[in-house]
Amino acid sequence: MSESFFSDAGKQWQAFMQQSAGPWSEFLRPGARTPDAFEQWTSAFGGAGSTPRETIDRFMQGAKDYVAFMQSTLNAGGANADGLSAWAEPIKRMFAAQGGHGAAFDNPFARLWPAQAGNPFAGLASAPFAAPFAMPGAAPDLQDFKSWLALPTFGLTREHQERQQKATVAWVEYQEQVARHNEQMFKAAKRGFELFEGKLAEREQPGRQVESLRALYDLWVDAAEEGYAEVALSQEYREAYGALVNAQMRLRSLVQQEVERVSADFGMPTRGEIDSIGQRLQALRREVRELRGGDALIDEIAQLRGELDALVRNTVREAMAEPAATPPQAVPRKRSAPPRRAATSETPAKRPAAKKAAPPRAAAAVAPSGFATRIAQFADASLGGKRKTRKTDAAPAKAGRTKKKH
Amino acid sequence: MEAIRIEPAKALDEVLATQRKLAAALDTLHKMDDVEFGVTAKEEIYREDKVVVYRYKGERAPTAKVPILIVYALVNRPYMVDLQDDRSLVKNLLAQGEDVYLIDWGYPDGADRWLTLDDYINGYIARAVDAVARHRHVRKINLLGICQGGAFSLCFAAMHPERVQNLITMVTPVDFQTPDNMLSNWVQKLDVDLFVDTLGNVPADLMNLCYLMLKPVRLNQQKYIGLVDILDNKVEMENFLRMEKWIFDSPDQAGEAFRQFLKDFYQGNKLIKGGLKIGNREVHLGNITMPVLNVFAEQDHLVPPAASRVLADHVGTKDYTQIAFRGGHIGIYVSGRAQREVPGAIHDWLAARAR
Repeated sequence: MSESFFSDAGKQWQAFMQQSAGPWSEFLRPGARTPDAFEQWTSAFGGAGSTPRETIDRFMQGAKDYVAFMQSTLNAGGANADGLSAWAEPIKRMFAAQGGHGAAFDNPFARLWPAQAGNPFAGLASAPFAAPFAMPGAAPDLQDFKSWLALPTFGLTREHQERQQKATVAWVEYQEQVARHNEQMFKAAKRGFELFEGKLAEREQPGRQVESLRALYDLWVDAAEEGYAEVALSQEYREAYGALVNAQMRLRSLVQQEVERVSADFGMPTRGEIDSIGQRLQALRREVRELRGGDALIDEIAQLRGELDALVRNTVREAMAEPAATPPQAVPRKRSAPPRRAATSETPAKRPAAKKAAPPRAAAAVAPSGFATRIAQFADASLGGKRKTRKTDAAPAKAGRTKKKH
Repeated sequence: MEAIRIEPAKALDEVLATQRKLAAALDTLHKMDDVEFGVTAKEEIYREDKVVVYRYKGERAPTAKVPILIVYALVNRPYMVDLQDDRSLVKNLLAQGEDVYLIDWGYPDGADRWLTLDDYINGYIARAVDAVARHRHVRKINLLGICQGGAFSLCFAAMHPERVQNLITMVTPVDFQTPDNMLSNWVQKLDVDLFVDTLGNVPADLMNLCYLMLKPVRLNQQKYIGLVDILDNKVEMENFLRMEKWIFDSPDQAGEAFRQFLKDFYQGNKLIKGGLKIGNREVHLGNITMPVLNVFAEQDHLVPPAASRVLADHVGTKDYTQIAFRGGHIGIYVSGRAQREVPGAIHDWLAARAR
């Protein structure tokens, strides 16, 4: 990059700003109040037809962050007229500053956590328990507050007070875990910046320089994600995350219990009651299914199918083997087919006596009719071929079924 | 040499280009229609509670004798396998002559709070398998399990091997505790009982938040900045919004099933360590003796490749094949490469075992 960049950039940027009109260019103007300017522009999407509003919101947030990045980067670079050596440093400082409360990319992880729509972690931040902390000038120590909440309660309402104290303690503990989790997020952001520095250093090699704002942004994203992944996969984060979720669930649970009590006082059905009904209903459905046969019946059907298969295989095998004992000229090759053909056209009268039992077995194997029919066919076939099949596959299958019954 | 070499004119061009795209966005977004998905015609063949089994209809009759039943995950909607005309695993399988069925789990609500994994696997899946077998007059069918549905398919095949002709698993976690599994790391210290007892069914938004936080900057910010590049392209925007809808159109999770899935699979890793019981039955992957095809994605951030690869060491079959796809967890269904490679590979593998 030539030094003319910094001498020319300011003029060009000013010219660009003067030429551009509307809220967008206003937003890009250095020093513009980012949220207001962008809100003005995004208000144009008020009636964005059927496009999912959330998608637009997400896009707006992304675009806002990106434009803020471009603005900050150009400002950082444009403010230095000392040549290239000064270019990278302001950007690094910008990112470093944003480890705290920078305007463009403040700690992205800590910001993303509570900001998500539907984030259950965000819901309890403004719980009534927060009231003591919202008092002007009041910033009580959490541990001190907890110790007060551990005091015993007395009298008619002692149970109520005790429950409320427990819920408040749970809220305090949840706040502690939120702070612990945020520390991890800051750690991830810090690590991301370290990696970003390393990646910038790698780009100092000829041919690898960053040549666009977008490439610079993408490089930062790569570094941020790598830093985050390191932290998110750590044992320390595992503990912090588990503690955060568990603390919130404890708090939610206690709040729900209070809501249930109030609901009961007003004669309203509660979630606990509905859950109990659902649980009993599901148990009842399982019992009914079990009484109808359930898994045992499924097993038995599978076993019977196996036996049926074995019988058919045996019969076919025997049908094919038997002619081999007679003189070759008496065994035309097509004779091996009858069992299969028998499924569609039975001609038992024309078959040799030894194969009389075969057609119904083969028919049972392929017939698409109901299970009862197939069982009847199976029984017929078994009676007809009992002597021949006892020593083969059918015997163990039958034993298996008997064993199951015991 | 300086690391940053941004020409002033180029930087300003970038800003101007962004401005133009954003201006075009007003027009494009206003013109966007509702996104459509699930393009292939299908018929319902079985229904129970909120579960529906569909058979897809191809342009010609299937040539495969054994049907495929797709078992999708509970955590997302299954239309990902048939997202749009040019991105459809189902359509491509049909074109190859396969006969494709799918289980749609629906959207569980409070009435489904007490459904267990036993209800899902030995109940719904078992009856869906029966329904498909009856529909095609066959005894065994091919199972194609995807992600969590793949884990369920493994359990089913291990408990009911006589009902599965061939088993195909796609992006399926088997080892739930590989070092690169971020979700697994997060849930190890969770008090799952407290979690489910408190929430009941697990809200879809909470699940989605967890998925987004796997790559927070990329998925919450960079993705939408990338959107600027396609803002003036209606077709590309429709594709983007279709995917966006799928990502966030997620069902809540039935509480009891979620409880067991987290405790036994993620925390206990019992699918490979042993001791996994679904209902009254024990699950032994060694009982899987039918041919197995395991397809996983090399850049999968939800189910790391190592979590899938390990299946080879645990199944009892001698006919095991695995395919490493160059792409991510979602790309394996919707990327251009996936359309060319995955359905054909599945079909060829099945065809070789149908001879």
